[in-house]
Amino acid sequence: MMSTANGGQPAIEVRALTKVYASGVEAVKGLSFDVAPGEVFGLLGPNGAGKSTTIGMLTTTVSPTSGTARVAGSDVADDPIGVRAASAVVFQDPVVDRTLTGQRNLEIHARLWGVARSDIGARISQLAVRFGLTDLLDRAVESYSGGQRRRLEIARSLLSNPRVLFLDEPTVGLDPRIRHELLDVIGALRAGGDMTIVLTTHYLDEAERLCDRVAIVHEGRIVALDRPQALLEALGPEIVELRVHGPGEPLLSFLRERAVIGDGAFVLGSTLTLPLRGTPAHELQAVVAEFGAAVVATTTRPPSLDDVYLNLTGARLAVAA
Amino acid sequence: MTTVAVPSVQPHTATETAVARPARSAVFSTLTRRRFALSAHTPREIVVPLLTPILFADVIAPALAKAIPATRGIDYQSFVAVGTIGLLVPLSCVLGGIGMIVDRESGAQRDLLAAPASRSLMVFGNLTVALAVSLFQVVALMGASVARGSTFDTAPSGWLWAAAAVVGLATLMHGFAEILAARIKKQEEYVGAAPPVALLPWFLAGSFFPISAMPAGLTVIAKILPVTHALALMRYGLVDHDGRGLHDIWGMTNTTAMAFLSLVVVAVSAAAVLALSTRVFTRAAIS
Repeated sequence: MMSTANGGQPAIEVRALTKVYASGVEAVKGLSFDVAPGEVFGLLGPNGAGKSTTIGMLTTTVSPTSGTARVAGSDVADDPIGVRAASAVVFQDPVVDRTLTGQRNLEIHARLWGVARSDIGARISQLAVRFGLTDLLDRAVESYSGGQRRRLEIARSLLSNPRVLFLDEPTVGLDPRIRHELLDVIGALRAGGDMTIVLTTHYLDEAERLCDRVAIVHEGRIVALDRPQALLEALGPEIVELRVHGPGEPLLSFLRERAVIGDGAFVLGSTLTLPLRGTPAHELQAVVAEFGAAVVATTTRPPSLDDVYLNLTGARLAVAA
Repeated sequence: MTTVAVPSVQPHTATETAVARPARSAVFSTLTRRRFALSAHTPREIVVPLLTPILFADVIAPALAKAIPATRGIDYQSFVAVGTIGLLVPLSCVLGGIGMIVDRESGAQRDLLAAPASRSLMVFGNLTVALAVSLFQVVALMGASVARGSTFDTAPSGWLWAAAAVVGLATLMHGFAEILAARIKKQEEYVGAAPPVALLPWFLAGSFFPISAMPAGLTVIAKILPVTHALALMRYGLVDHDGRGLHDIWGMTNTTAMAFLSLVVVAVSAAAVLALSTRVFTRAAIS
């Protein structure tokens, strides 16, 4: 079991969690991880990786086939209402009553989560100011822009001051400006208190920017789990990306034979991604020249989570998503 | 461009982290008021189902009443006016299922399912609104019918029998609507499936004529249908004080006993379908 900084229990404990749908699709295959109180934990992977199914099980809208999960001390199978009382969700798709006003949407959520009637007005006002919703609350939600609706949903999720907040692909479908605006909002939630946040995303920059730790999920399994920086450091300080004429495998084999690249090197079509670990770039280029490959383009750059994902799964996140 | 103040969320205090679990009554009240608000914003849910029954009661029934002056001593227009309640209530309740699909597909239902409360309360919240809307529609229909010359008994006991039958029938049909809405994925498919559920029993339930006028085989089927019992109870309460419709079903002489038996049939079927619908809804809410 994970030991937390304050010696307490993890906010989320997941053990061998598995989901097989009635159709036979095995969406989640024995996931195990812990999330510490106050941590921002990312589930990173393409569509179909099993992220939303995992969130569904943790929010008790998907029943696990096997395994266990506890959220804020409550078991998702034995005490689902306890789990739901301690958590809130921002869904991937818009989940609002469009014909009702923003104020009414917020009031309904607050009452269902047991916020004291006397506190509801003040809590809504406070969150409306913080999320720039004050002038919108009396309008029907159907008149909101995508970004305004998203802010309303995030504000709604905070009304009950949840111990655990689930954000399921919160920026999908938003234009870049609104997306970055929301990332600032979520980043501030991270900085603000001891709320535990579980964020699913297939955007690498979101995971790098917001998450304390990231679990990379591929076909229902966690293939890596660490701090984003640690995952990047595993690929070394710098990466050389070579695009060659024809398949890249022969050149990759040659470079391995000459021991100028480490285990993290991989090839996708005619593009080789080569982490540099101690080998100077000019030395690598000399070995490439010795092989006689026709190099179309050479790029040197820091590693990204996409490289981590590609190295682990053989697919690019952006393509897979 | 809207400027968003980056929120500084307050840390949990010891008091705030004590997780609140709302009272069932508060959840039920909130869910009911929400459904009322949604229905009020979509008045077609209330008005559209009224149109056909009112046309029956105010156009077809008076015209038929000229050709068929009385049915077993009951003014035929009033007889048909009650029969149209058997059309109105199922139509209204079953079409209400469209709102449930909209709620699931593009409304806030998923947020409600993540709330710390029993999910069955959503069904009961919806039911409460369906009952209120049905009673309102029945009053509107009867008002329109009286305006065209129908006459109804005003004895309190008669109204009670009729009201109990309406409540039972609405509960039954709302239960069917919940089951259909949970099982059917798309609105278009639901619209295709709704008429047989809402309308077919009405044709066999003695809406325009006594069930004894039908062939023997159909009469047997009619006696099984809860809609038949509900209509016989309404007529007993409002226009058929001798309970001839109840006699057609039970063949007994004690009118009050027959009324109780028919009420039991309506109530038991409504309770059974409601229980089944609650189970279907809560299961469908979880993948």
